Amino acid sequence: MKTRITTTIAILFILFVGNVNAQDAKYMAAMQTSLQQFGAAKTSADYVASANQFERIGSSAKTEWLPFYYSAFSQLLNNTLLTKTEEKEAALAKASELIEKAESINPSESEIFTLKGYITFMQIYLDPMTKMQSEGPKAMAILGKAKALNPANPRPYYIVAQNIFYTPEGFGGGKNAAKPKLEEAAAKFEAFKLANPLMPNWGKEQNQGLLSQCK
Amino acid sequence: MKRLILSLTLLGFIGVSQAQTIISGSIKTGKAKTIVGASISIKNSYDGTSSDSTGKFTFQTTEKGEQIIIFSAIGFGTDSLKVNINSQSLPLNLILKEKLNELNAVVISAGTFEASDSKRGVVLNSLDVATTAGAQADIFAALQTLPGTQPAAGENGLFVRGGSAAEANTYFDGMLIKNPFNAQLPDIASRGRFSPFLFKGTTFSAGGYSAVYGQALSSALILESKDLPAKTTTDISLMTVGLGLEQTLRFEKSALTIGLNYINLDPAFAVFKQDVDWRQAPESKSANVIYKVKTSKTGLLKAYAEYSNANVSLNTPDLNTETPSFFSNLNKNFYSNVSHQDYLGSNWRINSAISTSSNKDNGLQAFNNYGRRDELTQAKTTITRYIGPLSTLKLGADFMHSKRTEQWNGLSRNYSDNLTSIYAESDYFISNALVARIGLRAEHSDYLDANNIAPRLSLAYKTGKTSQVSLAYGQFFQNPEDQYLVVSKNLDFQKATHYMANFQKMANGQTFRIEGYYKKYTDLVKTNPSLNNNGYGYAKGIDLFWRDKKTFKGVDYWVSYSYLDTKRDFLNYPTLATPQFGAKHSLNIVYKQFFTKLNSYVGATYSIASGRPYNNPKASEFMSERTKTFQNLSVNVSYLTKVFGKYTVLYTSVSNLPGFRNQFGYNYSQNGDNRRVIEPAALRNVFVGLFITIGDDTYKN
Repeated sequence: MKTRITTTIAILFILFVGNVNAQDAKYMAAMQTSLQQFGAAKTSADYVASANQFERIGSSAKTEWLPFYYSAFSQLLNNTLLTKTEEKEAALAKASELIEKAESINPSESEIFTLKGYITFMQIYLDPMTKMQSEGPKAMAILGKAKALNPANPRPYYIVAQNIFYTPEGFGGGKNAAKPKLEEAAAKFEAFKLANPLMPNWGKEQNQGLLSQCK
Repeated sequence: MKRLILSLTLLGFIGVSQAQTIISGSIKTGKAKTIVGASISIKNSYDGTSSDSTGKFTFQTTEKGEQIIIFSAIGFGTDSLKVNINSQSLPLNLILKEKLNELNAVVISAGTFEASDSKRGVVLNSLDVATTAGAQADIFAALQTLPGTQPAAGENGLFVRGGSAAEANTYFDGMLIKNPFNAQLPDIASRGRFSPFLFKGTTFSAGGYSAVYGQALSSALILESKDLPAKTTTDISLMTVGLGLEQTLRFEKSALTIGLNYINLDPAFAVFKQDVDWRQAPESKSANVIYKVKTSKTGLLKAYAEYSNANVSLNTPDLNTETPSFFSNLNKNFYSNVSHQDYLGSNWRINSAISTSSNKDNGLQAFNNYGRRDELTQAKTTITRYIGPLSTLKLGADFMHSKRTEQWNGLSRNYSDNLTSIYAESDYFISNALVARIGLRAEHSDYLDANNIAPRLSLAYKTGKTSQVSLAYGQFFQNPEDQYLVVSKNLDFQKATHYMANFQKMANGQTFRIEGYYKKYTDLVKTNPSLNNNGYGYAKGIDLFWRDKKTFKGVDYWVSYSYLDTKRDFLNYPTLATPQFGAKHSLNIVYKQFFTKLNSYVGATYSIASGRPYNNPKASEFMSERTKTFQNLSVNVSYLTKVFGKYTVLYTSVSNLPGFRNQFGYNYSQNGDNRRVIEPAALRNVFVGLFITIGDDTYKN
C-alpha cells in the first residue's frame, strides 16, 4: 500500500508540476497498472502479456523509452522460463528488437544499455562455448557504456558480476572472482536513489542472493 | 490520503466515464492454428490485450468510430484491420500470417554442412572444427568426420562421395585456394595450410553447391575469415612440434595481426618411432600478416598474406631395385587475399576480392631434379540484391589466371589459362516454408578454348516446425588437372551432374540428417592410350548424421555414416572399377565433454571404414582386392589454466591410441612380384601444446 501511495504521489507531482495534459496522465496511469501486472507476473504467458502491454503503450506514447524498456525486460524474463532453445531465441530476438526501439528514443540512457548488455549475455548463454569468445567482448562493451553514462547505476555492475559468477573458473569466473564485483554492485545498490517510481529498480535482491552464495 | 483520493478521482475522470465496447474473438494462422500470446490493440491507444492459450482474446475500449486494430506475435508479422466501433460488442476473428524471417524460415540443406557461429540452423560451429579429436585443429581432418567423406591418411585432400581429392576445392573469402595443403609427400598426407581459428564460418558442401563457386566436380569447402578482432592480444604457442607467436593490435577502426610460426617434427619423430626413413623431418617457417579495417559504417576490408618455406627429405623403398630411393622437397608458398564488402543503400551489397598465390616445389626424386610452380591470380565481384526480408538475387563475375611450370632435369614446360566466369543466382522464398535456389554459371577457358554452362537448382520445404526436406540438382565443370593440361591442350572440361535428396530434423540440441545422392561423371581425363576426355563413372550412396547435445548433460556427440557405391573409368584404368577412394562403408563417432570442475575439455573420435580397393597386377580382375578394415581412435584433452596469470590452454592429443595397424593400399614393383603396404608413418602420434593468451580480459572488468 505504501508504495502505491508513494507512486500516486509521484504521479500527482508530475501531473501538477510538469506540463500536464490528459495524455500524460493516461500514460502514467497505464504504466502504473502495467508495472503492477509485471511485478505480479509468474508464468511465461504472464510475461508475454506484460511485454505486449508495454509495447502497446510504447507504440502509442511515441516519445517514451520506458515502455519499450519494460517490454524488452518482460521478454528477457519470459526467456528464462522457456525451455526450448528455438523459443528462447525468438523471445530474446524480440527483446533485442524492443531495446533497439528504446535506444532510438533515448540514445544516452544507462538503463537501456544495461538491459541491452544483459540481453546480449542471455543470447550468449544459449551456446556459451561458441559465442562467449566472439560475443562476450561486445556485451562487455555495451555494459561499459552503461557504466560510463551513469556511474551510479548499480545494474550494469550487477550484470557483469553475475556473468563472472556463472562463468567456469577455468575461464576466469567463479565465486571467488565474482565476490568483489558483487560487493561493488551491492555498495552501488545501497547508494542508489530512484529518480521516479517508473524508473528501473531491480537487481538488488538478486545481487544479494549471489553474494550470499559466495560466503 | 486526501491527495490519493484526488488523484484517483482524476485518473478515474480521464480513464472511464464513457461507454465501453467489448472487443473479443480469436487469432489464428492461415492454417487455422491458434496463436498464443499475440498482441491485439487499437492503434494510437493503450487499449488492447494478449491472446490466451486457446488463441482467444477479449478487451474493453472507450474508443469510438473508425479505428485500426493492430495485431502481431513473435515469429509472425504485424497486420492491421480497419473496424468501426459503434456498438457494445465487436467480435473479431483475426488471421495472422507467418512472417518471412530467419528464425523460422527453411534453409537449403541438401549437400551442405555449415559451421558457423552466427547463423541459425547450422550443424557445427567453428569450435567444433578446431576441437575434433584426431584432427589436431586441421580443418580437413575434422571434415573427415562428416558423412560423405572418408579417411584419407596416405594422400592430401578430401575424398567426397566417390570423388578424387582433386575434385574437392577450397575457397578463402570466395577465392579459390590452389594449394590448400602443405606439400604432398610420397604416401603421406600433409596438413592444411590454414588454421581453423582464422575463420568464423566453414561451409562444407558435398555436392549441389552455389553457382557462385565453380571448378570443383565433387565438393566445395568455403571458408569465411573472421571480422575485426575485439582486442589487442598476444598469443604464444609452445608445441612439441614447434613454436608460434601471434600479435594482434586493435585500433579504433582497424586491426593488425602479425604471426610467426616455426615447425620442426624432428624432436617428436625422435621420441615416436617412425616407419619412414626421414633424412630431414618436415621443417617449416611461416609468417603471416592480417589487416582488417572498417571502411564505413557497414564496410569491411580484409587483407591476408602468408609466406612459408618448408623443407623435407626422406628415403622411400624402391620396389624395382630394392634399394632406397631419395626424395626431397623444398616448398615456397605465397598466398594473399584482399577482400572488401559493403552495403550500397539498404538493399544492395557488394563483395569484391583479389587473390594471388604462388607455390614452388623443388627437389630430388631419386637422381632426378624436379621443379613445379603454380601461380594463380583471381579477381571476383558479387553484387547481391535483397528482395524482401529473405530473398536475394546475386550477380557476379570471376576472372582467374593460372599458370603451371614443370621442370625435369633442366627440361621445362608450362601452360597458362585464363578462365572467365559469370554467374547469377537467386534464393527465392515463396513462403517461410518453401525456398528455391536457382543458379546459372557460365565459364570460358582460353587454353581449352571451350565454354560451359552449368545450371544449379535447389529446393527446400519445411515439413514441420523443426523438420524439412531439400532437393538439389546441379551440373559442375572442372578443368583437367594441371599435370595433364601442361602435356596436352586437346582436352575439355570434365563434368559431374549431381542429384540429391535430404531430410533434416533439428530440435533442442539434436540433429538428424539423411541424404541420398546420385552423381554422374562424364568427360573425365583418361591417360590411356593417350590423353583424352573419354572417362566416365558414377557414385551413389546414403549419408547419415546424428548429433546430440541434449541427452547427456555436458556431453556432445555426433555419429556419421556413409554408404558409397562408385565406379569409374579414368586415368589409366582399363575398365570401369571402384577407385581406391571408394571405401563402401565409413562410420565416425565424435565425442566431446566439458568437465567444469576439472577445467578440462575432453574429446574422442572413433572411425571405422571398410577396406579400400587396390589393384594387384597379378589378380585376374582390375582393382578387385581390398585392404583390411580401417580403424582409428583418437583422444584429446584441453586443460584450461593460468600461467603467470595469463589464460593458458594445455592441449594433449594422441592419435590411434589403441595402435590399430591401418593400411591404405599397396605399391607394387613393375613386374608385380614385390609389394609394399602403404601405412601411416607412425603407429601413434602424440602432440602436446601450451597455448598462452595475453591481453584477453573478456571476463575481467
